[in-house]
Amino acid sequence: MSDARSGLRPAIDRLADRALEATMVERIAIALVSTLLALCIGLVIVAAAGYDPVRFANQLLVGSFGGERAISRTLRYSTLFVLTGVAVAVAFRAGVFNIGVQGQFVVGGFATVVSIVGLAPYLPAGTAAGWLLIVVGTLAGVVAGGLYAALPGALKAYRGANEIITTIMLNFIATGFVGWLVAGRFSDPEVTAMRTRRLPDNVELPSVIFSDPNLSIVGLVATLAVVAAVALLMSRTSFGYDMVTSGHQGAAATYSGVDAKRMIVSTMTVSGMVAGLAGAVFAIMIQGYYTDPTGVGNYGFDAIAVSLLAANNPLGVVPAGLLFGGLESGGSNIQINSDVPVQLIDGVVGLVVLFVAAPELFRMAAARTGLGGDRR
Amino acid sequence: MSVADRRLRLGGLVAVAAVVVIGLGAVASTQFDIALERLITVGFVNRSLEMATPIALAAIGGLYAEKSGVFNIGLEGFMIVGAIAAAGLLYGLGGTSPTQAHVWLAIAGSMAITACLTVAFAALLIRYKADQIVAGLAVWFIGLGFAPFVAAMIWDSRSSPGLASVDDVAVPGLRELPVVGSIVFDQSPLVLLTVVVVAVAWVVLYRTRYGYWIQAAGENPEALDTAGIDVDRVRYATVIFSGAMAGLGGAVLLAHAGNFVGTGDTMTDGRGWIAIVAYLFGNYNPVGAAAAALLFGALDMLNVQFQTVGIEVSSRLVNLLPYVAVLVVLSAWGKTRMPSSVGEPYESED
Repeated sequence: MSDARSGLRPAIDRLADRALEATMVERIAIALVSTLLALCIGLVIVAAAGYDPVRFANQLLVGSFGGERAISRTLRYSTLFVLTGVAVAVAFRAGVFNIGVQGQFVVGGFATVVSIVGLAPYLPAGTAAGWLLIVVGTLAGVVAGGLYAALPGALKAYRGANEIITTIMLNFIATGFVGWLVAGRFSDPEVTAMRTRRLPDNVELPSVIFSDPNLSIVGLVATLAVVAAVALLMSRTSFGYDMVTSGHQGAAATYSGVDAKRMIVSTMTVSGMVAGLAGAVFAIMIQGYYTDPTGVGNYGFDAIAVSLLAANNPLGVVPAGLLFGGLESGGSNIQINSDVPVQLIDGVVGLVVLFVAAPELFRMAAARTGLGGDRR
Repeated sequence: MSVADRRLRLGGLVAVAAVVVIGLGAVASTQFDIALERLITVGFVNRSLEMATPIALAAIGGLYAEKSGVFNIGLEGFMIVGAIAAAGLLYGLGGTSPTQAHVWLAIAGSMAITACLTVAFAALLIRYKADQIVAGLAVWFIGLGFAPFVAAMIWDSRSSPGLASVDDVAVPGLRELPVVGSIVFDQSPLVLLTVVVVAVAWVVLYRTRYGYWIQAAGENPEALDTAGIDVDRVRYATVIFSGAMAGLGGAVLLAHAGNFVGTGDTMTDGRGWIAIVAYLFGNYNPVGAAAAALLFGALDMLNVQFQTVGIEVSSRLVNLLPYVAVLVVLSAWGKTRMPSSVGEPYESED
């Protein structure tokens, strides 16, 4: 009897391990197939619209990974996609649909610029003061992003308001409100363009390795550090464990003493903090001031696709973010050197999300063609 | 929820809507010393109705889908598709000076195109059990990308030049009546059509057998299956209907505006999301959803009123009112009772 049990347990464990491994492989396969399928559809559309698809594909590739300039541009975009992607992944993993990363990114970036520009006159011009400003500005961005995400978290937890809709509304509000502030109280009186004052000259991350002024090794390292920290938080701490279980087995988590409502607010706050950090990186490393938020890009939205491609795994966000950085970088090359409207790339991103949402589609297709059909 | 409860709730909704609009007006009139009747004018009512129409149409589609157990979160995306399809068709039919017949053809064609695309979406959700939330978001992203792409292909710009908008239907004689004359007898036919759609949607949902099937598909699919009705078939019908209605909403938005705008979040600009809130606020009742849509439409148009009476508020801020209202509504009314089987694919026993 006891023999049977001791023999059974490892067998079950092995089976579970293998199942887990299979879903892992399967998820990667689904991500790859979804991306390839979406890109193929994009090329078909390019061809149908009367352009040369081979040329288009070539320009996309050259624009993303061909040469040092292209690569550093890809890395620059990837930094933002990885950070915003991690922000989304934290929330989705915990079963909270934070669609508001774009808004948190905008609010965070704006808070960074405002705090640095406001504080700079009281500090000397040296490098040390510059670093202090960078730290303070980044903290301001993180706090602002976290608070802006905590609001819909609290509304969901304590008022039952659907977070998908509240976060989307808060995106519109962030764009409009920050736009109003940039055009009004915080506009630079010395320029006609709608933007804030520039960050002072000493607020600049050092360019090491890459000559691109808008890409710093400090930004890359900080991004990877955040990825590692979040991955550890999610998988190795009791906070992360509670977060994930309360998202997927609410009843079990409540039974073990987790306050599910507070967990929702915490999850949203952590997610928003990472989004705010992405905003700070964008403001300090790339833009150097703040503009009308309708023109800062859709990193927070594309981040949803990044996170889903990575199956909401913080580590998986790195390759997915690189892919999206490459797409964005290739897109900016296409915008300059090709007649194909660059909005096509956004549509392709939408297709990627659509396919990732329907794994069953691929399972059925695989079963029909005999590839891996034994899996279900 | 009993009929009495529902009536009470609907009454409450209308009361809240009226209080909000009049309250804002009252604040404005005391603060800025402007007479209320100058702020709430016949023109304001007309503009609000026009603005509410696309939201109401999409909301009715969305509530049918959700009543039957499928959360169509892609309304916003389908509205964008409807708007660009109508603009493209309108331009294809009549260039930059289309006739009224072209406008109607474009609306019908755009509805057909969105309905066809929704068939694929419905198959993904129902047959392939796609994640309803993620797939719905994907539709939005696809719309946000491909609509400006199509616009750029046709017009070399994210937006179209001026095309044509739909003419009002004026009844000679009756249109001279005070207030009612210009609201009822000199009105956009699309507003009048929407009123009919709302009424029919209410009757079908609550007074016909098909309406009961829809409700059963969302509340108790097993019972419906046992009664010999194909649950998936009902759900296919409602999802395709919701896509077509959202497409119609987008086309109506275009037909009122007269040109396509593809910058930022396109001309739809969150109205599909507001439509979802409208039917939640209206507790899945078509009449309630339409009333909520009117509230959001009125808030959207307050901007124009403020400008005409000379209240100095940034239009950027006033434009945010509908979104803020959505937050307030969801926080106060958040706990709506969803149909119990929303979001779950139905597995038939056989």
